[in-house]
Amino acid sequence: MLEQLLIFTRGGLILWTCKEIGNALKGSPIDTLIRSCLLEERSGDVSFNYDAHGAAYTLKWTFHNDLGLVFVAVYQRILHLLYVDDLLSLVKQSFAEIYDPKRMAYDDFDETFRQLRKEAESRAEELRKTKQVGKPLGNVKKQGQVSKSGLEGGNKRISESGGSKKDDGDGNKAKVGNLTNGHSNGNHQMEDDSQTSDLANGKENTTDNVALDLSKLQKLRSKGVRGRGGIRKADSIGNKGSKVTAAEPAKKATKKNRVWDDAAPKQEKLDFTDSVDENGNNDHVDIVAADQGESMMDKEEVFSSDSESEDDDEPGSDEKPEAKKKGWFSSVFQSITGKANLERTDLEPALKALKERLMTKNVAEEIAGKLCESVEASLEGKKLASFTRISSTVQGAMEDALVRILTPRRSIDILRDVHAAKEQRRPYVVVFVGVNGVGKSTNLAKVAYWLLQHNVSVMMAACDTFRSGAVEQLRTHARRLQIPIFEKGYEKDPAVVAKEAIQEATRNGSDVVLVDTAGRMQDNEPLMRALSKLINLNNPDLVLFVGEALVGNDAVDQLSKFNQKLSDLSPTGNRSLIDGILLTKFDTIDDKVGAALSMVYISGAPVMFVGCGQSYTDLKKLNVKSIVKTLLK
Amino acid sequence: MDNLEDLKILAEQWFHQGVEFFQQIPPTQLYAAIGVLLLTTILLVSIRLFRRTKSNTVLLSGLSGSGKTVLFYQLRDGSTHQGAVTSMEPNEGTFVLHTENIKKGKTKPVHLVDVPGHSRLRSKLEEYLPRAAAIVFVVDALEFLPNCRAASEYLYDILTNTSVVKNKIPVLLCCNKTDKVTAHTKEFIRKQMEKEIEKLRVSRSAVSSADIANDFTLGIEGELFSFLHCYNKVTVAEASGLTGDTDQVQEFIREYVKP
Repeated sequence: MLEQLLIFTRGGLILWTCKEIGNALKGSPIDTLIRSCLLEERSGDVSFNYDAHGAAYTLKWTFHNDLGLVFVAVYQRILHLLYVDDLLSLVKQSFAEIYDPKRMAYDDFDETFRQLRKEAESRAEELRKTKQVGKPLGNVKKQGQVSKSGLEGGNKRISESGGSKKDDGDGNKAKVGNLTNGHSNGNHQMEDDSQTSDLANGKENTTDNVALDLSKLQKLRSKGVRGRGGIRKADSIGNKGSKVTAAEPAKKATKKNRVWDDAAPKQEKLDFTDSVDENGNNDHVDIVAADQGESMMDKEEVFSSDSESEDDDEPGSDEKPEAKKKGWFSSVFQSITGKANLERTDLEPALKALKERLMTKNVAEEIAGKLCESVEASLEGKKLASFTRISSTVQGAMEDALVRILTPRRSIDILRDVHAAKEQRRPYVVVFVGVNGVGKSTNLAKVAYWLLQHNVSVMMAACDTFRSGAVEQLRTHARRLQIPIFEKGYEKDPAVVAKEAIQEATRNGSDVVLVDTAGRMQDNEPLMRALSKLINLNNPDLVLFVGEALVGNDAVDQLSKFNQKLSDLSPTGNRSLIDGILLTKFDTIDDKVGAALSMVYISGAPVMFVGCGQSYTDLKKLNVKSIVKTLLK
Repeated sequence: MDNLEDLKILAEQWFHQGVEFFQQIPPTQLYAAIGVLLLTTILLVSIRLFRRTKSNTVLLSGLSGSGKTVLFYQLRDGSTHQGAVTSMEPNEGTFVLHTENIKKGKTKPVHLVDVPGHSRLRSKLEEYLPRAAAIVFVVDALEFLPNCRAASEYLYDILTNTSVVKNKIPVLLCCNKTDKVTAHTKEFIRKQMEKEIEKLRVSRSAVSSADIANDFTLGIEGELFSFLHCYNKVTVAEASGLTGDTDQVQEFIREYVKP
């Protein structure tokens, strides 16, 4: 069951909660959702899973960007509630109507919510039932009188009828939204409609009913076939429309619209319970006719969707030219007055351009896509101020998002942490991990140099016992920097070497131990296991992932796999994830700074250092503002 | 050259015309025009000066979960409504404080801004700092110790911010949630935070040479840090957003935004 439904402002004030449900949530799923999902630019995701002691919730949310409202539904993860999305959008629509920024209590919304919930639940129930009809045989038998011959042919079609049912549902939803239009029935009547249809559908479940579903399908099918196989008479009208829509996948919305109009009247037919018999009879004939061509039907299934969509597009062509005629004038007008509400289709071109720009800056494609989705979610439905272009609005939103991502979540003041560790009389342990050849040892030396400058005593631990020359390389650095190095030669277990190094550091009073590890590819299972062992055995204060700024799409893979493997292979399963990122070779990439963004987004860890040259002094902190500027340039 | 001469003549002609035109106008009208011109400039300048000297913006800052939003609505409406969740955007409002509303008629409204405490949204604070008259830094007195370091770091950033130092913006360290029995006292919190900031001062002054943007160092060299050493005034107060015990905060606000 639904655990909780909250409505709150982006400012954080709860406007309405469902008192009726009234279950106290375990932990604080809402705050966690906001902190680790919505504020991390992951609001484009579908749902969020929250785990706490003895509670596993799934959260779904939707925004009303114009009014600055957030709607969140919480339910137990084991229950797959189908109606939650539906319910959220219904609640959004009706709450937006009564929302007033000055008003703080919405007690009267309880009643509306109850109705909406009932509606959504019943619709989901309906959907499930229609789906069940198609699936197992036993179920159908329970429902009785569907003849077996009809079953096989009808099986697929029924499942499709489920689909059309869903569309009906969409139609309903739209009607509820369009209440003010007056073209549809009032709210109550609407409810009645759905309830009666429920009755007809759910309670009786007779042959007639099933047959009716079939029949509806049949009709659709025959229409589709006609529209397609028939002498393409519709082409003169339909072709243009279909081509246009094919060219613009963005116009999917209009397609859906079409289905409602087609299906809604049919649903009305359901209400005339008297005439069902007639209909049913007719349809039986249809079924028989259809059964003969069963195998063909299966074949047709492939393009029946095509034909249907063509069928859909046909009337779409009527709307299209009109829209185009309107286009020029309204766009000029809109640019002056400011657009009413931004829609997905308006944002798409600007976002696409932005995504491409990000990708040319070497941001991983997946990340760029997710970011754009999140920006889209935050802008959809917002009012565009006058004399602003969509592209500039989108750019502004993206800039905000980027700054938010790159701003470190945890403190990156290592010196402070070092001092804290010093007070506890233990060394501060930093482990450098990463793939081969990214510059772990070089940057370890740079970090050592930086720490030395701040009067911190440093010790190196040569735990790269694998690559020949690694220990010597580190020894050279140690000699130049005049710091002690702990080494045990090659072919030793690095975890043990690190442990001994830390013990040694505790003995001789070093403040920081910098542990160098062998480079490894993220897919190399045995080496990853060794690394996991090293980290779990020694429990370092900081695990620095060293990544080169040259990396493109692979950054996502590297970091996510490292993170994953480290948490998978750890026996305790808790900490020991990557705490920070060291970005190397930053001087070689000019303006392609995207790797920084990809890495930070995927791991959630901040960039702590940036290596930008060959000498010991070439270690910097990341300048968030300049990175964002470069990314959007 | 000819062209230049022509132009000169033309200009002289226009000048004469202008002078004649002026002589035709009655002097009273001229004076009136000049008077209006002067008045508007004076008005504009005075408005600007007025604004700069008397900002009425008070910022509510602090870590996420310390109770800023609740305090904001407590000050505005005298009610917490139905509670709050983590803020994603600042709450802003210009209003007369709730309790004053009842007592007197005319008071200067306060522009109160509740800046989200989530570390990703810290950058928002900098937008508001230049026009702030006072800052209320909210600390969770109940869950103080685990958050002590983070809170101190945030406070350190605020205290070393350029506009805070330059404008000497007063800061109130508001210990929230004191209605609970296990809450720490304000003296304890002040001492702990001073200790933390002392440590930060050491490590940050080392870092700032790299490039963290703290232009100012806090306190006096060679002495343990105390809030008394700050460039601006730092005071400590107790409050409870939940029960509406916000007298000390209101007093503080009214000290810097005169009614």
